[in-house]
Formats: sequence, structure tokens, C-alpha cells
Amino acid sequence: MFVSRSMTRKVITVNPDTTIFEAQELMATNRIRHLPVVVADNTLVGIVTDRDLRSALPYRFFKEGITAAEKESLKNLRVKDIMTQKVISIPPAYTIQDALMVIQNARVGALPVVDDEGRLQGIISVRDLLRAFINVLGIGQPGTLLCILVEEKVGQLKRIVDAITEMGVSFGSVLVARYWDENKRAVFPYLLTQNVAQVKKKLQAMGYELLDPMQWYIDQLPEEERPPGKPKS
Amino acid sequence: MKRTGFLYDDRFLLHKTGPYHPEVPERLTAVFQGIEESGLLDKLIRITASPADMKWILAVHAADYVKRFEAACRANKQMFESPDNQMCADTFEVARLAVGGILETARRLMAGELDNAFCAVRPPGHHAEANQAMGFCYFNNVAVAARYLQQEWGLRRIGIVDYDVHHGNGTQHIFEEDAGIYYYSIHQHPTFAYPGSGREFEYGRGAGYGFTKNSPVLPGLGDEDWKRLVERDLFPAFEGFKPEFILVSAGFDAHRDDDMSDIKLSTECYSWIMHKLVEMANTYTEGRLISVLEGGYSLRRLPELARNHVEILLNG
Repeated sequence: MFVSRSMTRKVITVNPDTTIFEAQELMATNRIRHLPVVVADNTLVGIVTDRDLRSALPYRFFKEGITAAEKESLKNLRVKDIMTQKVISIPPAYTIQDALMVIQNARVGALPVVDDEGRLQGIISVRDLLRAFINVLGIGQPGTLLCILVEEKVGQLKRIVDAITEMGVSFGSVLVARYWDENKRAVFPYLLTQNVAQVKKKLQAMGYELLDPMQWYIDQLPEEERPPGKPKS
Repeated sequence: MKRTGFLYDDRFLLHKTGPYHPEVPERLTAVFQGIEESGLLDKLIRITASPADMKWILAVHAADYVKRFEAACRANKQMFESPDNQMCADTFEVARLAVGGILETARRLMAGELDNAFCAVRPPGHHAEANQAMGFCYFNNVAVAARYLQQEWGLRRIGIVDYDVHHGNGTQHIFEEDAGIYYYSIHQHPTFAYPGSGREFEYGRGAGYGFTKNSPVLPGLGDEDWKRLVERDLFPAFEGFKPEFILVSAGFDAHRDDDMSDIKLSTECYSWIMHKLVEMANTYTEGRLISVLEGGYSLRRLPELARNHVEILLNG
């Protein structure tokens, strides 16, 4: 669950004196959007993003190209002139969850991963996190997703997990999500089996409500998007 | 009336899956009885199974996989590679018989002895990958048949239609780079159903890009939406592809009375798709079509579904 296991280690970097044309070229060739800026010893001093470049270069640069005169006037522009200096970075010991929270709060697309000495160790992007999340969801493996509505009280998940385990079925993942009724939780077991009819019957016999798949959602919706006919919480 | 072949063999019942498993021999008995009691059996050309030549199974499956499967059976293992794949000592031989029966059906059809055929086999096949048993399936029956038609009879364009309620991951993956085999599947949306593949944006790979098409169906939907998707996605696909042969992975588990899915098709809708497929075969393949049983677990509905299925083939 640590960032160090999911980050990209071979980071493409620039130094403060790299020209913005070189930086742009690096991004285009490698199809990346973030270039950490480092000095000797790989110490992180800034980050430059494709957005920074788009702001610095004329719009036409990305379309039909620019004139020689325009190019001449921009040739002395360096990464250090446009980079973000106060970089939001995280240490390698941060968890994936930490990284998700930081990325959401900071509204950035990637985070440089930096050790205690300020040296760049890697970079973790939204894409890396998505890959990790797909892994956590287990959706790369064949299986079936169920949605079970349970009372918000201790021991419910254990009952469900025990009941399913007794049937010899393995779990790809289990998500627990908020539900519009605040006294309830939606439990989403991803079961690595095709044979779920028996599991469903058993859970229903135990008194659990299985939700209509079309009513599922992973995250709490704003009030106006609540499925029709459902009471306010 | 068409010369319709019907592959059925009592030995397909010998594959036992133990308790709490829906893929039971009674399914096939229900299929057979539905046809027998309707009086259609005499009109069909009966085919019995003989073991497949291993070279055709190996044209699809990895040699190591076949070895593992055979060894597991010999060792009387009750399960093979995934808890879904419950089995018994006879499973390997039964799976080989099923393939052999289908290949014999295909041979007779290509030799001009049959116009079309329904193969009522167990175990099913469409989840079986080249190197992995999955979802009650061991040998990919339809995939082996397609390879046989390609390699033995030189067919250049084979269309596979998979209307089992689960995506035929095995068949799709086996042919995803093959532009000579078009795989179309309509199934419950992979976010809500096994096996979790068959998304709308999967189109094949490499040379086979554009020769895979999936129509995911959201839970709770029924005939109208299902037919609309078939019309929107399958019809133009085959009009462009112009198959020389149609293979059907016939799964009846999208029926509203089948508890394996949340799709709610009527018995009539299953007749509708068969009518359409027979029409397509008449247009593109001189009627050549073989359907092979995949899923379908409602013992109450299978008899009528099977009866209608063969009746449409006979009248095709």
C-alpha cells in the first residue's frame, strides 16, 4: 500500500536551465505531463507541467507552429522561469491512500516522491493511482459483484464474509460504501466466481437485502441525484 | 424443411459438478426431453459423439493446459484451477467427447450432409481460455470448431455469435488478433456480472482490431433493449463481415426465470434471435450454422427454449 511500490522510478527530469522547447519535446516524446526539476544529487527544486508550458508558449505553437522570429524571442526562456517552485511532494513511505488524499486536496495530476534529504525518488501520477485502484477492486480478475444492504452495526461484514467463505467462494475485494439511509451501509463483495445464485439465496435467507444493481452507487450522491423513490437520509 | 443435425450423447451427463453447482446434468436432460416431447426428435439428424482428435484441441489450447486438465482428472480431483470448475474423474473424457461431437457435426455439415445443427453438450466452453479453465468451462468448444473450419475446410470468414448472458472471454481472447473470425457477444454488463470482461470498448487487437464487438446489457433490461442492441451492433457488423459460416454460443441464462443473471428475456426473445440468425445464415452462409449449448440453468424453461431453438433451425 506504499507509494514506493506504485510510483514510477525512472523519472524523466529536467534542470532549471533546460529550455522550454526541450521540456516540451520531452513531454511530447514520452507522453507525460509532469517534469520534476532537479539539480545536482537529484535534489528537487521545482516541477513544470504541460499546463505551465501551454501558458508560456503561444497557442499557435501547438497548432500550426510559430515563426522563426517568435521562436527566437522565446529561446532564452528556461524551465526555471516558469516552473512551480513550491512543489507539493510526498515521502516514499506515504500510502496510496495518503497520495489519493493529497492529490485530491492539492488538485494536481502527479506528486514527486522525495526522500528526507529532498532527493527525488520517483513520481506518482493519477494514472499510477488508478492502476493501483483497479488492482484493489480486483476487476482485472473474473468475478461477480454483489451489493448487499446492511444495518450500520458491528459484526455485519463478518457474518457476510463468513457465509460466503463457507460456500468456498473467494473474494476479489470488498468495498463498503455510504448509503442514502445513514443507518445503513452498502457492501460490495467482488466474488471470484460465476456461481453466485446460491450465494444470493443464502444471503437473502439470512435476512440481507440485495440491492437492484441499477440502484448501486459507490459514492454518496448529491441529494438531487438520489434515485427516485428513495427517502432522504 | 432443413436437414438439421442434433448432437446429443448420454455420456455428456457423466460430467458431475457436485453439490451447490448450477451446471448439472439435469440441464441437458431438460434440453433433450423438451425436444423429445415435442415430437421433433424424429425430424432431426441424430449425431453421437466420439472423442476429438487431440490435434484440434491443441489448435486452441496450450499443450501444458491439456496435460494439467487430464492429470487432474486422472488424480480424481474434484476441482480444476478455480472453485467454479467442479469436476469428476470423467470430466476430461466428456469434454473431449463434446468437442469431438461438434467437430463431427461440422464435418458433416461441410460435407453437405446437413444444413445446420444444434449441439447439446456439456461441459460448456466459452469461458475457457487457451491456458485456463474458467466459469464451468474446460475446452472452448466453439473456438475449436472455428479453428477446425478454418484449417481443415479453409474458411476465411467465420462469424461467432455468443448470446449467453455472460461474456465469452475465452472465445474473444483466443480470436482477438484474428481478422478471419468475428466474435460478437451480447451479455449482462461486465460491471455487474461474471466474468467482468466484454466491455463496449473491446474491439480486438492487432490484425484482429475491429473483429470483436460487445453489447453489454444493463441489469434489469429485457427483450426490447436487448433486441435493439442486437440490431444496432450485430446486424451491421455481419453485413460488413459477410461470414461464410455462423457459430452460435447459445446460452439461455438471460431468461427472466434464470437466476444466474439480472437480464429478463422472454422465451419469445430467444426465438427472435434464432430467427434472425437463421435469416443471416441464409443471407451470408448458404444456411450454414451450428449452435452449441453454453449456459442456461432454468430446468423449468430449458425444455421449451430447446424445442423452439431446433424448430427454428428445422424450419429455417
